[in-house]
Amino acid sequence: MIFYIARRLVWTIVVVLCVIGITYVVFFKLPAGNPALRFAGKSPTQQELAQIEHRLGLDRPWYIQFGKFAYHFFAGDQYGWPGLGYTYASGSSVKSLIFQRAPRTLELIAGAAVLWLFTGVAIGVISAVRRRTVADRVAMGFALFGISTPVFWLGLMMLYIFWRRLGWAGGAGYVSPATSFTQFFSHMILPWITLAMLYAAFYARMTRNNLLETLGEDYIRTARAKGLTERRVILKHGLRASLTPIVTMFGMDIALLVGGAVITESVFNIQGLGYLAINSALTQDLPIVAGVVLLAAVAVALMNLIVDILYAFLDPRVRYA
Amino acid sequence: MRRYLRFAVMLAAIVALTALAAGCGSSKKSSSSSSSTNSSSSSGGSTANASYDNGSSQKGGTYTVGWEQSFGFTDNLDPTGEYLGNAWAILSNLLVRPLIGYKHLAGAAGNALIGDLATDVPKPTDNGLTYTYHLRSGVKFGPPINRVVTAKDVVYAMNRLADPKDGAEYGFYYSVVKGFDDVVNGKAKTISGITAPNNNTVVVHLTQKTGDFNYRMAMPATAPIPPEVGACFEGKPGNYGRDLISSSSYMIAGSAGKFTSCSALKPFSGYAGADGNHLNLVRNPNYNQSTDPYRKNYPDKFDFVINSNADDIFNKVQAGQYDDEESSPSPKTLRKYGTNANLKKMLQSNVGDRTWYLTMNLTQPPFDDIHVRKAMNYIMDKQALRLAWGGAIQGQIATHIVPPVLYNGGLSEYDPYASPNESGSLQKAQAEMKKSKYSNGTGMCSASACKGVLMIGDTRALDNRMIPVIQAAAKKIGITFTVRQINGAYTTIQTTSKNIPISERPGWGKDYADASTFFNALFTSGAIIPQGNTNYSLVGITPALNTSKKLGVTGDLNNVPSVDKPIAACNAKLGQDRINCWEGVDKTLMTKVVPWVPYLWSNVIKILGPNVTHWNYDQFADDTAYSLVSVKK
Repeated sequence: MIFYIARRLVWTIVVVLCVIGITYVVFFKLPAGNPALRFAGKSPTQQELAQIEHRLGLDRPWYIQFGKFAYHFFAGDQYGWPGLGYTYASGSSVKSLIFQRAPRTLELIAGAAVLWLFTGVAIGVISAVRRRTVADRVAMGFALFGISTPVFWLGLMMLYIFWRRLGWAGGAGYVSPATSFTQFFSHMILPWITLAMLYAAFYARMTRNNLLETLGEDYIRTARAKGLTERRVILKHGLRASLTPIVTMFGMDIALLVGGAVITESVFNIQGLGYLAINSALTQDLPIVAGVVLLAAVAVALMNLIVDILYAFLDPRVRYA
Repeated sequence: MRRYLRFAVMLAAIVALTALAAGCGSSKKSSSSSSSTNSSSSSGGSTANASYDNGSSQKGGTYTVGWEQSFGFTDNLDPTGEYLGNAWAILSNLLVRPLIGYKHLAGAAGNALIGDLATDVPKPTDNGLTYTYHLRSGVKFGPPINRVVTAKDVVYAMNRLADPKDGAEYGFYYSVVKGFDDVVNGKAKTISGITAPNNNTVVVHLTQKTGDFNYRMAMPATAPIPPEVGACFEGKPGNYGRDLISSSSYMIAGSAGKFTSCSALKPFSGYAGADGNHLNLVRNPNYNQSTDPYRKNYPDKFDFVINSNADDIFNKVQAGQYDDEESSPSPKTLRKYGTNANLKKMLQSNVGDRTWYLTMNLTQPPFDDIHVRKAMNYIMDKQALRLAWGGAIQGQIATHIVPPVLYNGGLSEYDPYASPNESGSLQKAQAEMKKSKYSNGTGMCSASACKGVLMIGDTRALDNRMIPVIQAAAKKIGITFTVRQINGAYTTIQTTSKNIPISERPGWGKDYADASTFFNALFTSGAIIPQGNTNYSLVGITPALNTSKKLGVTGDLNNVPSVDKPIAACNAKLGQDRINCWEGVDKTLMTKVVPWVPYLWSNVIKILGPNVTHWNYDQFADDTAYSLVSVKK
């Protein structure tokens, strides 16, 4: 197992470097214009443009810039390790900017993940066990609603109803838990629910389908015949076998949200990593884009690894060399 | 039976939901049809509101501004290079005092120059080549410098402007100062034409008469910078912004203590950088109100907060959590404020000194023919374009290059391509098109060069509304477009080698209240550069210029008209002569060159919160006059 993990970590580094390399190619090959123009004023001379390009490191070929980035990432730069350079817009350390914004995104994901996992799985179990009853219909109706509703609309509706009208929640914006946990919770509950809704719906459907399939297996009938309680049959024997695809999905969803919860972050003014990445892409601030892409790629690779390790515990048939 | 019953119930539910949705939809439609924005005439704009006052201006409180998406500063608030208009409003109202300033009012009064750090606005001597500024006494830098501002601090700021390593973005305005270009080119360390004979006097020598030089000395980059702090950021453009030392009434929160060394200097906590989400300003304890007759400085604090959700910004403004906004109100918000008697007074709309236009490339067919360009001016439905922007409240229909306010109201009736209700005239357009080489005498652009002409647009919702209007109008005279919409279209149209025939994206605003800020950058051959070009129409281009600057322009470059000489002549003039001269250039461009179809002189719209007790518009910065606002505590 240790050898397996080490091998996977090495591959993770290779994958991440490939992803960053593609990011650099896309940034330079797409016809978005010269980023130096943004800092050059209204009527720059060629000399001024050349100076800005030199300052930002844009006067070198993309593969040289990528090589420098990769080198500094491993060796560190003037801001420490990992070396992610500085932003074009303000000369601030990309690392400090990402570390400042990352907790917001991670808190958003964590809260939403807890909600969607427990809600989705619970609804899926109820729906599978009470198949074709009113409970099942309501649950699947909820799933349909959750999958169909655009996140931005749901977020705006949540704000309108629960903040504007009822005053039950804190509205858009972010308050750090260190400042006030009550305010933090009050401001995050709506984005958690908004983000969780879509995923809970998927998980409910997935759980229901998998569980229904599992509950039809012979060993489940055997378990019932042996006199086990229905709760034990469903939770210990049925659900455990159904969880493998859920775990896969969960890992990938968490990882993809690291850089991808941009709509929720924008609607609720959380200004996390997704929002940072989008803004930077629009303003051609490559160092920040590269930094966020790097983080997201690492997150995806690591979550894949964690998910694969969890398989070994969930399914005794899975063993790694 | 049970199955059929269930099916019937489901069907009934679907029908009921559909009926409900239809009901909601129809009521929305009726409410939108009854709403209206401000009244409008055919070409007149909305009612301008220069200020808001409920009679209770008072010291104290925090003025909070919700800022959409990101600050967008071009140089991280470093005054040497900062070129964003919204940043200028903050800098010139609250943080820095250049030698020359403004009263921060609306209209012509707001464009009139006053002595800010200087005691008055000097007249040039020595045949218009020398300007002498006398500094007010008692103006001090804020913490951690805490000393009197001297002439040497102004000289340092000007040298910083010239040093190419310090990121100046409008240094070209000061090339007229003797010795400035020597510093730019690395031949000198300091500008020979700027001297400080004593602590309270700055003398500037020019190489040529420059009628608007005092306007140039009112720009934030010329404000004093303490060399002891400036030296910490030499060669690091933008970094000074987070340690900006105030010479005015407010400072960045966290500016405290005493400056000891560069290594001990940390970024002030009140500003997290251009990528950050807040800018907090507090009073400068060293500020002396008696030295400043125009700033009122009512609030104790200013908080500029980033908010990614535009709807949330306006919800918070209405709820009183924000007092002001740097955002673009949606048509829904404008309707709400425009039609509600209680909210209407909080909607402020003022002339923005900006022209929006379609730009036509004089080297690319069919726009290399002046008759086609004139026909485009005649046919364009400017009313519909303004409606696409949101209606009359968005501004006045543009009929020539420069907004009339920059001529002190001159040319306000000048409309060389007038049409009924400014909706376009097919008759006039076809009459003009008949004279074109691309027409077969029918008044339609029938040559193959008129079909599928490339038009570059942006990807905003506004562009999606404007493009069909432009296409429909042009089609009436036989011109069809192949439209390519690019996110951030400016970089494409600013690249000369792309040879873009026409674009609907551009707009241009003044840097200061002189028409030279339009004409020099937009229509002189010297302004044409391969990247970052703003003379989109390529007025004045020649084959020699195309080769020498490697512009990559194709097409017929031999007969492109030039206005270099009249512009140069106007640059040297002063006073009303200068204004009259610029008016002449405007008319020449509109009738003999015709590079544009101008369609809108846009307003700046602000929506204020209920706690605001006084608000003014700053005509210089085209933004809130922060030095004059007041808010309830």
